Amino acid sequence: MVVVQPEDFDAAQLLAALHARTSGRAGAVVSFIGTVRDYAEHAATQSLFLDYYPGMCEREIEALCATAQARWHILDTTVVHRVGELQLGEQIVFVAAASAHRGDAFRACEYIIDALKTRAPFWKRETLSTGEQFWVQQHDADADKTAQWDAGDHNAEL
Amino acid sequence: MAGRIMIRVLYFAQVAEHMGCREEAQALDAPMPATQWLAALEARCPALAPTTRLKLAINQQHTSHAAIIQPGDEVAVFEPVTGG
Repeated sequence: MVVVQPEDFDAAQLLAALHARTSGRAGAVVSFIGTVRDYAEHAATQSLFLDYYPGMCEREIEALCATAQARWHILDTTVVHRVGELQLGEQIVFVAAASAHRGDAFRACEYIIDALKTRAPFWKRETLSTGEQFWVQQHDADADKTAQWDAGDHNAEL
Repeated sequence: MAGRIMIRVLYFAQVAEHMGCREEAQALDAPMPATQWLAALEARCPALAPTTRLKLAINQQHTSHAAIIQPGDEVAVFEPVTGG
């Protein structure tokens, strides 16, 4: 399930729904929640605005989930990503993967959030307490992490 | 002009701010390499320079700058993404 929405989400409800869809087959459900944190060094973060490409966002995330399902033994996945204006401390993104085994669920969940950061067309604009606004730049570390997954480095660790 | 082809162009985030719009229709004389199209965009809006760092999607698929833009394409131009 992939949803892009301005509204907040209830992680417990999303986990319960994923559990219900995989009940009796999944031995492991791993989830990740990303939240708005104080990001800039010189002034406090007040809020984030998330721009996105409707249609392509959902398609890219669906493709990442399909890749995870092909690569590991994954029964089902859930991704919810918020857009629009978000305040400090609010939830941004939810990722969960259900599998018979925890190793597959951990790896798929981490892969999906890593790959989402470099492939799903979202852009964050940060507003500081000073009123200053800037568009967040992609971290080289995020691009490197996705490149590692693509190179199969994490497979070698198994 | 006879034989001109139309494409739909989408701009997001910082690129949209520089362009002053999020969407426009453009006429091309013929299918065009994306590199050439981006160079024309940079000439029109120097604040985008260097466009070599910008990302492209054609018909909602990530695409390299080596692609050829075809009639009817939806072309999106944006900074490296920062979701999650």
